[in-house]
Amino acid sequence: MRVTQSMLSNNMLRHISQGYERMAKTQEQLSTGKKISRPSDDPVVAMKGMSYRTNLTEVEQYKRNLSEAYNWMENSDAALDKATSVMQRIRELTVQASNGTLEDSQRQIISKEIGQLKEHLVSIANTQVAGKYIFNGNDTTTQPVDFSKPNPVSQNGNPVKIELSKGIDIAINVNPKTIFTYTSGSTDSGLFGDIMELEKALNSTNPSDIDSFIGKLDKNLEKLVSERAELGARYNRVELIDARVSEQEVIANRILSENEDADIERVITDLKMQETVQRAALGVGARIIQPSLMDFLR
Amino acid sequence: MRSTFHGLETARRGMFTQQTALQVTGNNISNANTPGYSRQRVNFEQTEPYPAAAMNRPNIPGQMGTGVKAGSIQRVREGFLDVQFRTENNKLGYWGAKAEGLEKMEDIMNEPSDNGLSKTLDRFWQSLQDLAVNPEDSGARSVVRQRGIAVAETFNYLSNSLYTIKKDMESQIDITKLEVNSLTTQINNINKQISEIEPHGYLPNDLYDERDMLVDRLSELVNIKVTSEPSSDDPSPMAAGKYTIELISGDGTQSLGKLVDGAALAKSDVNYNIDSTTGKLTKFTLGAPPSDITTLKVGGRLSGLTDSFNNTYPTMLNDLDKLAKGFAVKFNEVHSNGYSLTNTTNIDFFALEIPGAVSEEITSTTPIAGFASRLTIHDDIKNKIENIAAGLTTSDGDGDNAQLLSDVKNDSDVKLKTTYEGMIGRMAVESQEAVRLMDNSNVLKSAVDSRRQSISGVSLDEEMTNMIQFQHAYNASARNITVIDEMLDKIINGMGVGGR
Repeated sequence: MRVTQSMLSNNMLRHISQGYERMAKTQEQLSTGKKISRPSDDPVVAMKGMSYRTNLTEVEQYKRNLSEAYNWMENSDAALDKATSVMQRIRELTVQASNGTLEDSQRQIISKEIGQLKEHLVSIANTQVAGKYIFNGNDTTTQPVDFSKPNPVSQNGNPVKIELSKGIDIAINVNPKTIFTYTSGSTDSGLFGDIMELEKALNSTNPSDIDSFIGKLDKNLEKLVSERAELGARYNRVELIDARVSEQEVIANRILSENEDADIERVITDLKMQETVQRAALGVGARIIQPSLMDFLR
Repeated sequence: MRSTFHGLETARRGMFTQQTALQVTGNNISNANTPGYSRQRVNFEQTEPYPAAAMNRPNIPGQMGTGVKAGSIQRVREGFLDVQFRTENNKLGYWGAKAEGLEKMEDIMNEPSDNGLSKTLDRFWQSLQDLAVNPEDSGARSVVRQRGIAVAETFNYLSNSLYTIKKDMESQIDITKLEVNSLTTQINNINKQISEIEPHGYLPNDLYDERDMLVDRLSELVNIKVTSEPSSDDPSPMAAGKYTIELISGDGTQSLGKLVDGAALAKSDVNYNIDSTTGKLTKFTLGAPPSDITTLKVGGRLSGLTDSFNNTYPTMLNDLDKLAKGFAVKFNEVHSNGYSLTNTTNIDFFALEIPGAVSEEITSTTPIAGFASRLTIHDDIKNKIENIAAGLTTSDGDGDNAQLLSDVKNDSDVKLKTTYEGMIGRMAVESQEAVRLMDNSNVLKSAVDSRRQSISGVSLDEEMTNMIQFQHAYNASARNITVIDEMLDKIINGMGVGGR
């Protein structure tokens, strides 16, 4: 093949610009840290990248939902713990009051304390977390216990559910219908009703059946404890989900990274190699543009 | 008997002819860097020997050479390589245009990234999850509204940008068409000039070069076949003649008509039709009155642009419309089942204004063309975030419907994510193929080009060698005159002077 000088210089130019093109790609990979910059670079990586990103977003969101679930459940548990102590104190006072040797005035003092404890129970039932009433089912903007209303204790027992993992909705609230209750009648009942009747009995001059309240209080206390146990069991489940979601987050991050992150060591090695080739190409270029026959003909 | 001065004439011819050769060498060197230039060569020919074979020829030893002449000046070129070059150039034109269109599309879709539609949908989903957790929170509602607007705007942006590029492609088709017509006009003009020069026995090499270069450029735009018509009854065997250029279908099987008619020295213009209702290029025509080329496959860049304009872009636009509509209709359906904070139900989240039927409800039967570009948030939601129907009951703390709304992303009827991923995947594969084939034809084209250069390119070393060769021949002819001069001097001045 006949080779002319313009062919040589054209080839040289082409090779050098091809080298720069490859280096530009490497530069892009190094400065973005990504294997690909457009879908056509690798359609499979691009498509997988899209769904892995979605997975990651989902997992991140579930983590966010989890922290909200913890917030509700821990606050509910703490409130129920307080409610239990209050109930125990009321029971203690009731046992004390059932002692027939007490005078009226002493019973009245006990009644006063029970009145205060009842107020405390009301404030526990009205616990707010981040502005939301946690003991009113999904009607979180209404105060559940308000004795100025005709029906002082609201009866919304709807679960407040949060999605904590794909398709898994968990109720994060306790059912207040079983614990904070009040039924008005000839003798009021339910938690608040019982306490109110107890107050009344203690204030009367001749109480005969204070003893009977101990049984009623025990029943309410039992409901409280069992609701709390149920909450505890659910909390455990949430912890299990949390562990799994955390694991998924790590996996999702790793897969996303494996899929589209540039292998920096390799890219740098490539860069080094391209540098060598480019130097060679430039060197060859400089050498190949040689003096021609003209320079020797005088 | 030959003439006394015969030798002078022979040597003079030598000097003249070598001078011509040196002239051509100089021209080659001067044009070493001229694009499209083919090196030229002087075809040396011996002049008629003496005596000529005839009845009254002198009875002398014969025949004796009478010198040299420059028979012709010819381009050194291989026509077969031109055919190869133009085939590859045509493919490069086609795949180049396709790759370019798809590259722009990839830029617009911008996937995978943190700014594409996919991420915008993910963020919207995320805001709905937050709303499900905090349905009574106006902050969470604002975020849902903003992210919803972002989804609608991303659909709008994608659709509008693709439409703009499609519009741009139309003007590129127009420019390319004009370029084809301008090139064929120029080729036809050169054909005319050539037809006036060749019958006189000349070889208009510069016109040949110029014409071949125009044909090279034309081959990138459309698929062509070049044949040659003699420009006179008895042309020089080296004459290239007048080119007839046929338009060939992209697959090379069918002739679609003559762009340039060498015999008639006429040319026909390429034109096209765009159907205003479908927005598609329906046909190319040739000549006036236009004869329908019937097929859209004219090859080259023009075909690549037409493909993008007629198929690639409309398909993506249509897919986006379908996707946006499927999503919006389903989302509205779920949304209207829920209760807002003000305990109203049957509220739409997304709105669409259909031309001619403003404020018409979006249903699964309304037309979808341009849906993605018109998708917006319904005024009810835009003006009042309380209207976002997060609950399935009237309780403020009920986020169950927000939960259901977040599930629309993965709804089995809409298949939002998988459909969109499929669209991007298809585009990516198509683009990858176009880029690969463009690179391939580029490599082949430069391989053929370098073989063409190998034959037609000017080598300065070679020209220098020739120059020395011609210079020496010139000098030798001149020296021959000196010798003959001395001989004549002997005859005229040195002879018959004995005894003087």
